[in-house]
Amino acid sequence: MPPIPGSGLAKGLAVTLRTMTKKTVTAQYPDAQPELPPRTRGVIGLFEENCTVCMLCARECPDWCIYIDSHKETVPAAVEGGRERSRNVLDRFAIDFSLCMYCGICIEVCPFDALFWSPEFEYAETDIHELTHERDKLREWMWTVPEPPALDPGAEEPKEVAAARKAAEKLAAAQEQAAQEQAAQRQAAEQTPAAPEQPARQEDEGPAE
Amino acid sequence: MSHLAAAAEQGFLSPTGVEIAFLLVGIATLGAAVVTVTTKQLVHAALWLVVALGGLAVEYLLLTAEFIAWVQVLIYVGSVVVLLLFGLMLTKAPIGRSPDADSGNRWAALTVAVAAAAALVWVVVDAFRTQWIDLDGPAQGSTRVTGEFLFQHWVLPFEALSVLLLAALVGAIVLSRKSDNDKEQR
Amino acid sequence: MNDVLDVALRLVVVFAVFMVLPLVVGQTEHKVMAHMQGRLGPMYAGGFHGWAQLVADGVKFAQKEDIVPADADRRIFQLAPAVALLPYLLVLVAIPIGPSESAVGQVIDAGIFFVLAVMGVGVLGSLMAGWASANKFSLLGGLRTAAQLLAYELPMLLTAASVAMAAGTVSLPGILNAFEWWWLPWQIVGAIVFFVAGLAELQRPPFDMPVADSEIIFGAYTEYTGLRFALFLLAEYAGIVVLCGLTTVLFLGGWHGPWGADGLGWVWTLLKTAILAFGVIWLRVTYPRLREDQLQKLAWTVLIPLALAQIALTGIVKVAIQ
Repeated sequence: MPPIPGSGLAKGLAVTLRTMTKKTVTAQYPDAQPELPPRTRGVIGLFEENCTVCMLCARECPDWCIYIDSHKETVPAAVEGGRERSRNVLDRFAIDFSLCMYCGICIEVCPFDALFWSPEFEYAETDIHELTHERDKLREWMWTVPEPPALDPGAEEPKEVAAARKAAEKLAAAQEQAAQEQAAQRQAAEQTPAAPEQPARQEDEGPAE
Repeated sequence: MSHLAAAAEQGFLSPTGVEIAFLLVGIATLGAAVVTVTTKQLVHAALWLVVALGGLAVEYLLLTAEFIAWVQVLIYVGSVVVLLLFGLMLTKAPIGRSPDADSGNRWAALTVAVAAAAALVWVVVDAFRTQWIDLDGPAQGSTRVTGEFLFQHWVLPFEALSVLLLAALVGAIVLSRKSDNDKEQR
Repeated sequence: MNDVLDVALRLVVVFAVFMVLPLVVGQTEHKVMAHMQGRLGPMYAGGFHGWAQLVADGVKFAQKEDIVPADADRRIFQLAPAVALLPYLLVLVAIPIGPSESAVGQVIDAGIFFVLAVMGVGVLGSLMAGWASANKFSLLGGLRTAAQLLAYELPMLLTAASVAMAAGTVSLPGILNAFEWWWLPWQIVGAIVFFVAGLAELQRPPFDMPVADSEIIFGAYTEYTGLRFALFLLAEYAGIVVLCGLTTVLFLGGWHGPWGADGLGWVWTLLKTAILAFGVIWLRVTYPRLREDQLQKLAWTVLIPLALAQIALTGIVKVAIQ
């Protein structure tokens, strides 16, 4: 059936009228802060306790906007007769946000989880030089880093959890085996049937998994 | 006779406010008209024509011919001048003087204009002389009176004019249409 | 002395209406357009939902430098905004909002002709601006304005004539005195044609080809800044008020309403005008701009035949009921 002439025009009018009755999408920003998701590329926070001054971030940065100074310190031997260790101490960690292009490569490459994305974005300055932020400021931003969001249902579990679980399972399996051997030894010794005991044992192991 | 008596009562050209206004507007209109034909800036000429036509409308108003006045504005200022300006813009009228905005026929044109003006003035003066408008009852020139005059006493000229305009319309369409021969040539 | 006072008072009231209603329409446009696009619109000026936004705009315009381009035709360039704005003020004088003698600025015998004639003069302002700016875009805008005016003046006049035929008078209060409710369906085609042609004459979207800001940079107003530009904008909004008021008076029965015709007639007039003004804004938000050829085609092949058909219908019904 061909459309009624003018029905398209009427449809257009209906769309605008319907939109008028709906809630607006305007974000009234200075009055109301936006709700930004975790990992929003607002600013880069530094968790400096984790930093080992490996310099990977500074080297991978395509803009060369990360400045790191450090020196080496010698730590006396922990035990009597042991060897002295040396470790790196961070003197300066600065990111020039007038150069940074927010690619996030530094955060990706950091092997010790010392860099994080923070949704904080209100750090405009009136002078471009003031956009180079030093480690104290970067450390402050670390407090604004939100918890990572929950995993999707059905997602692969995090690596560290998986590793911990594997270890726990191994341990449990080893214990079970040990218990079974013990039981077998006892069975052999007392000559009683072991069949009713086995299910009860499995129930005990359930929560450990 | 009554007209003459009325004239005697009022006095010929007794300077009432309306008459003074009529004269002043008339002078302004005349001045605008003269500038229209003498200025060398084409668009200015068209705009001065607006002033002249508007002045005429005011004169009609002062003569209680309200209907004619508004029709004058509607047709001449609202449409004819717009058409004129449209044409001028299409022809790239320059801002400032156009050196060629003059005609070799200016004396002939002046003669025709003066003759036409003299004929009109003579006819009008001869027709009305010292007649005074009767302001009691519906004003002469109000819409109702004008309509009644037009469609009772002047129907034939009115219809003749309509036919003339229709003929002009058809003629314009015929002229602006592409003939079949042109199409074949392309 | 009393007469003088009376006239002065009427003029002051008309002037006040002329200054206030366009701003109200403008503010409504800000808000309605915003909400139709899922936005909030102005929220700060004046505190409560940005009610003073247009006042703030006016102050801003007044502070701007008044620039006349070097090659422009100075006098005409400066005169154009006044020519565009004043006619609407004059038209407002003749629109009756209530049944009593005191509810109209001035009763004019040939009201329809006066109103349409003076509205037509307003377009001269755009033409003058377009030509005097010495700018290609302005010239194009002026040309398009002229072409549009020539095309849309005719349907407007024809439909107005249809109402005049129905009422047997060309005076605006006279038409309203003769109004009956069944004129509404009788003249509905004429009303639509009149309204659409009026929109086109005001160069409101979707008929804003002459000012198309995205292609010819606001057409005739390209070179204008500051107060003169503001005057052109004010003329546009005054035009909306005038068009909606006229449509109300001619086709929607002005002060007539289902109840409360005595005393509250002016409320009906204002209400109908406001609804029409909302319609103007609604159309602007909804439809894209018509192309120049579509504009001309709409006028000559749709609106004028419809207007002529309306006149024929009016004539037949008029003869039949007599």
